[in-house]
Amino acid sequence: MRQVWLISGPPGCGKTNWILSEIKKHGGSCGYIRLSGFSEKSLEQANSSEIDFVFLKDQIPQLIDLSKPSDHLFSDQDDSVIFIELSQFYIPNQSGLAGIDPRIISQLENLKLLPDQYLHFGRDTELPIKDTLDFTKIESLSLNLQENVWDPPSLNTFWFELVNGAYGDVYRAKALLNIPDGRSMYFNWIVSQPGSQFLQLNDISPPKGRPQRISQLVIQGRNLEFTRIKSTINLCLINDSVLEMHQASLSNQQLAATH
Amino acid sequence: MKQAVISCLHANLPAVQAVLNHIDRQGIDTITCLGDLVGYGPHPNEVVDLIKEREIPTCQGCWDEDVVDGLDACDCSYPSQLAERRGHLAHKWTTEKLTNENKDFLASLPTSIRRDKLLFVHGSPNSQHEYLLPDMDAFAALERVEMSGAETLFCGHTHLPYVRELGQGSIRITLKNTPNKQTEEKEINLPMRRIINAGSVGEPRHGGSKATYVIFDDKTNNIDIKEVSYDIDRTCKAIIEAGLPSIFAWRLNHGFEFAELAEDASHVCER
Repeated sequence: MRQVWLISGPPGCGKTNWILSEIKKHGGSCGYIRLSGFSEKSLEQANSSEIDFVFLKDQIPQLIDLSKPSDHLFSDQDDSVIFIELSQFYIPNQSGLAGIDPRIISQLENLKLLPDQYLHFGRDTELPIKDTLDFTKIESLSLNLQENVWDPPSLNTFWFELVNGAYGDVYRAKALLNIPDGRSMYFNWIVSQPGSQFLQLNDISPPKGRPQRISQLVIQGRNLEFTRIKSTINLCLINDSVLEMHQASLSNQQLAATH
Repeated sequence: MKQAVISCLHANLPAVQAVLNHIDRQGIDTITCLGDLVGYGPHPNEVVDLIKEREIPTCQGCWDEDVVDGLDACDCSYPSQLAERRGHLAHKWTTEKLTNENKDFLASLPTSIRRDKLLFVHGSPNSQHEYLLPDMDAFAALERVEMSGAETLFCGHTHLPYVRELGQGSIRITLKNTPNKQTEEKEINLPMRRIINAGSVGEPRHGGSKATYVIFDDKTNNIDIKEVSYDIDRTCKAIIEAGLPSIFAWRLNHGFEFAELAEDASHVCER
């Protein structure tokens, strides 16, 4: 019997990682969709749905993307599990399914996905609570960095400065960023954790031209200096001639390795 | 006699003033400066003027060379594109602010100062741009000191203060095609050599934000690495008011260097 789970919580509480572990435990067919939720007074939502899906799909290649109509391949009878991830700042005032935000219900009806289970980080004890923070004010910056490639040591410096407060009080940052050798790096940071999570995606693009895959940076926090962040990023991105040089060098190495 | 060695002032006037006051309070008259008077910081002319006024013997640092020789004499030591671009911003700002008189002064600085068996340089005896890091290959480190003819080499550039003793060194040589047509082997034992890095007054990189310098006692051969607090907020405020990248103020205030070290510590610019 198909199960539909709605998982909500504030930024950085661990929704995506919890869903990943549940998908791994389930082992069977799974679908995923992320709803962006609603900004509340002084609490601004960030759009990171593509980062989360790309990350999950990289870890679980058979994961079905329910944001695309053509991927609705589930029947009610199979034993698949569908996870709906929802960013939501406030704790529902009712338990169970009754706590679902009415604004979300209409979206779920349009998707023909009615949850059998609803869990919220900070309300339901089935979910870990250690990274569930109560935000009173939050600004968000979402940057589309598709086709952009970072100088790796510069990326290292930028991320260090970002999460250590050089551009405002960052509570949450995550990103999928391209580096010249064709790899996409997943960055994940939350203020309640001591370090950043860095992961190289399994899917490596051939290092030829500018990468076309998803690349985004999402930052949430207070007093964020958007202009300075963008300005520093521009200093870290490599131009066409430098990218060509890197890629030519990689091609030569690959050629030498095959001979 | 005790003497003080300072390095890498980086146009940070409050730090330089605090360190010179610290040295004066100990009654030390002999001070040697290992260069990098300018670069990144907001007070290039003030720092050069103070060094001139105090008549402190000074070697030319990599930044002192760069602002004289035009756009960076050596870019290849930048560890990242970001560091390079920030360095260029600082370079341009410093070049515009420095008076011609002070540029001439920086151009006139020697690349090394020798006092008996003591040699004072900015980076290494080979180049103002070469890093002698504390963990560099011992043979290469010994070679730098031995080939310069010094017993003790004072350097800066890394911004990491340290004392490295290179004892029980030897060089083994195999001679072929000797006059008697036989292979000869020779081993030369080297006396103790030392590398002393003075750290940085204006841009510390030792994990804290205090300025560092060293005091050397030539009677006892004792080395004392000193840390000095200074009005860091004054420097940070001046960085922002000067229109330099505000990230420099953040990095300085948190005890991070303006730009990181190059990955290759033994890098030597070939330009």
